[in-house]
Amino acid sequence: MLAYVVRRLLQSFVVFLIVMLITFSLPYFEPGGTLAPAYIVLSNHATPQAVHLWGVQHGIFHPFFVRFWDYFVQVCIHFNLGFSWRNNLSVWSLISLYVPRTIWLASLAFLLTLLIALPVGVVQASRRNSWFDYTMTNTLFVIYGIPAFLLSLFMINWFIFGTFHFQLPPTDGSALQIFTHPSEFIVPVVTLAVLNLAFFSRFMRSAVLDVLVQDYIRTAKAKGCSQRRVLYKHAFRNALGPIITIIGLSIPGLFGGALIIEEVFNYQGVGYETVYSAQYNDIPTVLGITLLITLFTLLGNLLADIGLGIVNPRIRVEGR
Amino acid sequence: MSQLNEMPNPLHLDGPNDERARATTSFESAVVPLWRQRLRIFLQNKLAIASVVYLVLIVLFCYLGPIIWHSNQTNQAIALNNQTNAAPSLHHLLGTDGSGFDVFGRIMFGGEYSLSLGILAGFITIVVGTIYGMISGFIGGAVDATFMRILDALLSIPLIFLLLSLVTIFPRTSTNLIVIIGVIGWFGNARIIRGDALVIKELEYTQASRAMGAGWWHIVRRHVFPNSVSNVVTVATFAIADAILFLTTLGYLGLGIPAPATDWGTMLNNAAQVQPFYWWQVYPLAAIFILVIVAITYIGEALRDAFEVRLLER
Repeated sequence: MLAYVVRRLLQSFVVFLIVMLITFSLPYFEPGGTLAPAYIVLSNHATPQAVHLWGVQHGIFHPFFVRFWDYFVQVCIHFNLGFSWRNNLSVWSLISLYVPRTIWLASLAFLLTLLIALPVGVVQASRRNSWFDYTMTNTLFVIYGIPAFLLSLFMINWFIFGTFHFQLPPTDGSALQIFTHPSEFIVPVVTLAVLNLAFFSRFMRSAVLDVLVQDYIRTAKAKGCSQRRVLYKHAFRNALGPIITIIGLSIPGLFGGALIIEEVFNYQGVGYETVYSAQYNDIPTVLGITLLITLFTLLGNLLADIGLGIVNPRIRVEGR
Repeated sequence: MSQLNEMPNPLHLDGPNDERARATTSFESAVVPLWRQRLRIFLQNKLAIASVVYLVLIVLFCYLGPIIWHSNQTNQAIALNNQTNAAPSLHHLLGTDGSGFDVFGRIMFGGEYSLSLGILAGFITIVVGTIYGMISGFIGGAVDATFMRILDALLSIPLIFLLLSLVTIFPRTSTNLIVIIGVIGWFGNARIIRGDALVIKELEYTQASRAMGAGWWHIVRRHVFPNSVSNVVTVATFAIADAILFLTTLGYLGLGIPAPATDWGTMLNNAAQVQPFYWWQVYPLAAIFILVIVAITYIGEALRDAFEVRLLER
């Protein structure tokens, strides 16, 4: 087991390096050249001397590999993501400011999604091809077809400017406002929850359907278990295995899912900050956030795989 | 932005419909050609037929509609002669938008770009994904390990960052947008196809073929490719839907097709950003757009059923 974990950790590290190489290289291809950010940061009336000085200060004039090596040492040895070019803050402090805000928003929405999606999936599977199944399937297809930004704008139109007059969440401030002013967060949280609904309830439905054809379900029915007991005691519990894996895998995706919601509701979280920094060429911030999300993703994959390895020893033997 | 998460497509998970399987099983037609059986299974799905009809109508509407419904969609100066945000009337069936363009004609105009770009970009994702996945799954060993690590890396970069960088690097022409969406969208497809190739490679008849001395090209041509066609076609339909959704999200970020051209995402964004918005600018287009995605999804489902070997009569 230890060897498996160590090998997976090494693989994850290699993947992390590839990501770092790709993300570090991309800004090099920008049309304005490597000094393009200088013109944005120093704004309109920068003298050539100022631009040159800025380049020297930020090590712009070193060769690519020297810069990459410096960045690698800085991140992997010193755990320092650098200093933002745009805000007067280090990238770590920016991240510690914005990550909690996104985490609270996304995890509440995720909880809501699961609370709705799992029962819907189970009922759909247990009454397969009934009118409820068809109605839910078609509804979920429609939800899947709505772009995230459009659903958010619809929600704003209906629930904030419409008849209900909910409030918009505050743009900035403490991450814990979601608990002190819950009414302001109802609309974004529900929107985000609805967006993930289709994925999880479809997945739950197919997982329960897979379990329902197994022999032990027939045995349970044969020994006289009630329908309800078969469904919740035998089918639901066994279907939870793949669901837990997929939940583990999708946690980093929550950041991405929250991005558009944050943009539309003007709520300053990680996604908002990424788009803002990318538009204003704040490369250290974008790189830092990207690497952090990559790290989350890799850890999620790793934990899911180790979990599977504990449950299913064959995976360890095959040593993927 | 659930469309940007590279998770397995949830609409891809449902198993084949058993009742349909029973209905198609009979003993008389052992020699019916494969494609005709598949066509019949496809045609049994009423929703899929409705979806095909709907898509054909929308394509005709977008590409032939402008011949009948003349409207200025490119000249801002002439458009300003119209009243902006005018309600629907006989002169403007769906009113005008914030710049004075006729919305009914603009849906056709934007649809041409959205549909053609979406289909071409989806096509690129499926071609690249299939080739990558096939090579990785079929060769296996060190090549597979390398390919999969690279894929892991690409999958764990937030797509929005790749997107924003690529769109800033390359000028936003139609061709570039197709290539950018194509380049970003194939990761998930490659993983599905690779899993397929891994399974097919180990099947008994493939091993028997190999034992009898078949070369790799023979195996790919006769076993791996025909058996993965079903998945490729299904994944392709969903890839097109995803590409259209992706282009729409680009429109929201202000990175869609630049003016004077437009696409549905840009139109929806421009119209719905005005709060409270004018219903004629948003709801008709939103309904058309969402139904296009739903229709493509239904067709994908029906295609998967049609290619499902268990449903065939052999």
